[in-house]
Amino acid sequence: MTSGPRAVRSVSGAVSVAGALVVWVLLLGPVITLLTHISGSAIASSLSAPGALQPLVTSLEAGGVTLVVLLLICTPLARMLARGTLPFPRVWEAGVLCSLLLPPLVIGLLLVFMVGPYTPFGELIGHLNLSAVNTFLALVIAEVYESAPYYVLGAQAAFASVDPRLEQQAALLGDRPRRVFRRVTLPLAAPGLAMALAVAWARAMGAFGAVVVIAYHPYGLPLQIWTTLQATGLPSALPFALVLLVVALPLPLAAYIWSARAQSRRRG
Amino acid sequence: MVAIVGRMVDLRNRRGAQVAALFAIASIGLAAAGCSSSPSTSAPKVPGTANVAYASSLQYLNTKVVGPAFTKATGAKYLGTSGASGTLSSEIAANALPDANVFESVGSDNITPLEPKYTHWYVQYAGNKMVLAYNPNGKYASQFEAIASGKEPLKDLFTLLQTPGLKLGRTDPNIDPQGRYFIEMLELAQMYYNLPADTVTNIIGSPLNSSTSSEIYAESSLDSVLQAGELDAASAYYTQAIELHLHYIALPAMINLGTAADGAYYSKATITTTNGKVHSGEFLVFDITIIGKATPAAVAFVKYTLSSTGIAQYKQGGFTLLKPTGFGTGIPAAIRSELGS
Repeated sequence: MTSGPRAVRSVSGAVSVAGALVVWVLLLGPVITLLTHISGSAIASSLSAPGALQPLVTSLEAGGVTLVVLLLICTPLARMLARGTLPFPRVWEAGVLCSLLLPPLVIGLLLVFMVGPYTPFGELIGHLNLSAVNTFLALVIAEVYESAPYYVLGAQAAFASVDPRLEQQAALLGDRPRRVFRRVTLPLAAPGLAMALAVAWARAMGAFGAVVVIAYHPYGLPLQIWTTLQATGLPSALPFALVLLVVALPLPLAAYIWSARAQSRRRG
Repeated sequence: MVAIVGRMVDLRNRRGAQVAALFAIASIGLAAAGCSSSPSTSAPKVPGTANVAYASSLQYLNTKVVGPAFTKATGAKYLGTSGASGTLSSEIAANALPDANVFESVGSDNITPLEPKYTHWYVQYAGNKMVLAYNPNGKYASQFEAIASGKEPLKDLFTLLQTPGLKLGRTDPNIDPQGRYFIEMLELAQMYYNLPADTVTNIIGSPLNSSTSSEIYAESSLDSVLQAGELDAASAYYTQAIELHLHYIALPAMINLGTAADGAYYSKATITTTNGKVHSGEFLVFDITIIGKATPAAVAFVKYTLSSTGIAQYKQGGFTLLKPTGFGTGIPAAIRSELGS
C-alpha cells in the first residue's frame, strides 16, 4: 500500500529535477552557445595579440577598487537602512531604487554633467592633474554607480537578517557599538554581505553602459569585447567574453558556496 | 549643484528647440511620402519586411523619415539595425545578422568583401562631408564663432586646435570610419594651408592611430559629451551637425572629403590603422545593396531610397545628392530603372 505514494513522490521528484534542468540549461543557453562558437585557435589568436590581456588587468584592478569603495561607503548606509536609524528611511530607499532603475547608459550621460572636466568637480580634481573622463578614475566611478545599488540592497537584507536582540544583549554585556558590530553583527551578516559583494563584483566586471560614455579609456574587458567586435568581427571578440566569464565567475561562485555552507551550519 | 541643474535646464531648452526642428524635418519626410507618386492605396502592397543594416550616420534619417515613409508608401514593413559600416559588414559575413536583406554602408569597401556570397552589386547614391562641431558655451566659443562666421581665417582653426587645454573629442580611427576621416581631414588641411609638418600630431598626439588617446570617445557618446558642454570641439559629419543642431565650422571642399571631383586630392591623406591596413582619404559616399535573395520588400526599399522622393529626404537631412550609379552585375531591373535618374 505504501508503494503508491512513494512512486508518486519519486515521479514528482524526477519531474522537479527535469524542470530545474530545463530552466538551468535555458539560463545557460548563451554561455553554451558561446562555448560552441569559439575554437581553441581563435582563443589563442585573440589572447596572444600584443596587449590583449591588458583590459583584463584593468578590469580586475578597477573591480577591486570598486569593491573597496562599496565596502567603505555603502556598508554603513546599508546597515543604517536595515536598522531604520536614518530619518525618512523610505526616502533613502527610494533613492537607492532610483539609481537601480536608471539604465546604465543614462547614468553615464548624467555622470558627464556631474564629473565632466568643466564641472565644479572636474575643475577641482583638474587642479590635481586628475580627470574623471576617459581615465581609470572614470572607470571606477562608472563601475561604482552601476554596482552600488545592488550591493546596498543585498547588504541591507544581510543586516536585516541579523536578530537585533543579539546586538542588544552584547551591548547590555558592556560591548561598545563598534565591538558589537565586529563581534556580533558582522559575523552573522557575513554570508549575506559576501553574496551582495559577489553580485556587485559581477555587475562591476560587466559594466558597460555608463563606462562607454565616460570611461572609454582605459579599456576594461566589456569595452575590449565591443571594440574588438567593431574592429575585427565576432570570432575574435568572443574569446574575450570567455575570459570575462572565467575571471568574473570564481568570486561569486566562492561567495555563494561559502554563504550556503555558513547558513546550513547555522541552521544545523 | 545649482550650476549643474542650470546647465541641465539649459540643455533641456536647447533640446526642446532641436526636437521641434527635427519634428519639422520628419513631418516633411512623412508629407513627402504621403504625396509620393509611389504605390498608394490603389497600388498592391509589397509583402514582407525590409530589414535594413545601415551606417549609424543614417540613424535619424532611417528611423524618423525614410523608414516610416517607406512603409506608408509601399505597405512593406521596415526594420533597421544601425552600426559602424565595418562592424555591420563583419556581422553580415559572420551570419550574425541573418535577417538583414538591405545594407547601406559608408564606402563600398565594406560591401565588396561580401561579394560574391551575399551580393554582386552596389549603388552609390548620396554623399556626406566632415565639419568641426564646437561647444557654443565653452571657453573657446568666441574664437570658434569668429572662424565659423568668416571673421577669422579658417586656417586659424588648426592653430586654435593646438591650444593646450582645449578639449577635443573624436572617435577611434581603428574602428570607426569617422575617426579616420577626421585625421585625413587634418592631414589635408596641413597640406592645403601649408601648415607646419607637426600640426596634425600637435592636435591629436602621436601615433596618429592611437586607440588610447584621451580625445577618443565612443561614436555613440561623442555628441552627447559635446552637447553636455564637456568638450570644446568634436569631429562630426555635416548631417550629424544638422540633425543634432550642433554649432559647427564648415570646411573647404578640398579638405572636407565631401566632393567627388576632389577624390584624387583626398587620397593624398593616409592613415594606417593598428591592423596594418592603409586607408586613403576618399569622398564620403553612401552605397546601398541587397543582401542575399532580392525579396520584394528589399527591392522596394532600395527603389524607394533611390527614387526622387527618397533622394529628396536625403537632401533634407543635409546629404549631398549624387546621380545613383550602379557597380557590379545582377542589379534587379526595378532598381536599375532608378539609376541615372
